[in-house]
Amino acid sequence: MKFFSQSYSYDDPWSIVTLAFFLRYPNPYASHVVSCDVISRSVSPTGSLVTTRLILKRGAMPRWFPKGIVNRAETWVVEESEVDPLGRTVRCKTSNLDHVKVMQVEETVVFRSTSEGKTLQLTEARILSGFGWGLTKRIETHGLNRFKANVQRSREGVSLIVHLLRQSRLQPMSLGGSEELVSVGLPGPIPADRETCSTGAGNTHAAGPQSRAQNSSWSRLKAWFRPPPRTD
Amino acid sequence: MADSLSPECTPLKKTYDSCFNAWFEGYLEPVASSTTDAQRIAHYQQKAKEFEDKCGKVYAEYQSCIQSAVKQKGIEPLLQQAREEHPLLAPPPPAVHPSKD
Repeated sequence: MKFFSQSYSYDDPWSIVTLAFFLRYPNPYASHVVSCDVISRSVSPTGSLVTTRLILKRGAMPRWFPKGIVNRAETWVVEESEVDPLGRTVRCKTSNLDHVKVMQVEETVVFRSTSEGKTLQLTEARILSGFGWGLTKRIETHGLNRFKANVQRSREGVSLIVHLLRQSRLQPMSLGGSEELVSVGLPGPIPADRETCSTGAGNTHAAGPQSRAQNSSWSRLKAWFRPPPRTD
Repeated sequence: MADSLSPECTPLKKTYDSCFNAWFEGYLEPVASSTTDAQRIAHYQQKAKEFEDKCGKVYAEYQSCIQSAVKQKGIEPLLQQAREEHPLLAPPPPAVHPSKD
């Protein structure tokens, strides 16, 4: 079993970071997210919002992994969260539902408001393989390394949404024109698949063909902030 | 907004998400620090009612669609097992004093 623990501080207030955390799919750093559904949600008697989401993520098996054991490199992930607006805390626990014998990753994330009005994120993970065949340790080490890399990407995704939320609040009138907001600096070429990110990582300036993809991400992001009014 | 696991639920999901996101932004806004605990709880009960009034109908439609899709795809036993093995949410942590943000 491998453990991971890390803390991170956002300069932004808890309410914005929490909103960004819930809005984080899709974002250009999460192209591996195939679908995301709320399967239960309620407000508790004390006012906390309790949500269960079912997420389908695409991955890739390492090259050394035996063929024919995992047929599809997709995994169902369940995410249970509790937003406590009185205590200014979010607790979120995530775990994969299938391929659990190969590897199970349990992640806990907590967002807390600090007394300076910033937000502290605590991430903890437990990575466990029951695979055997002399591969258990190698699988767990691989899982831990991927987790470390993905924690970074996931935070970049949340930070991007935080940034866009901040922009949309500063300039509510400019939401009609996406151009100037795009220029606030979406990251450069974004690998389509996490497994290929090493090939694109060195290149950080936005180029022509990429702009279209960014605009499309932006138009999806924009739709969240100011959803079109319902007609019924 | 990300797609639903079932294409036929995606339009309902997107309508629901838009409704939820608009409500959620208001729900997260801090309440004035001068209010009493009872007033705060009443405030969030009011928010819960507001959610039900605004998004309750589309939420019910989306849930009816998604729950049958979850059954069809055979994910339900996996979910049930996960709930039994790991009650996902631990008891709440000790109360922290809300800060202004």
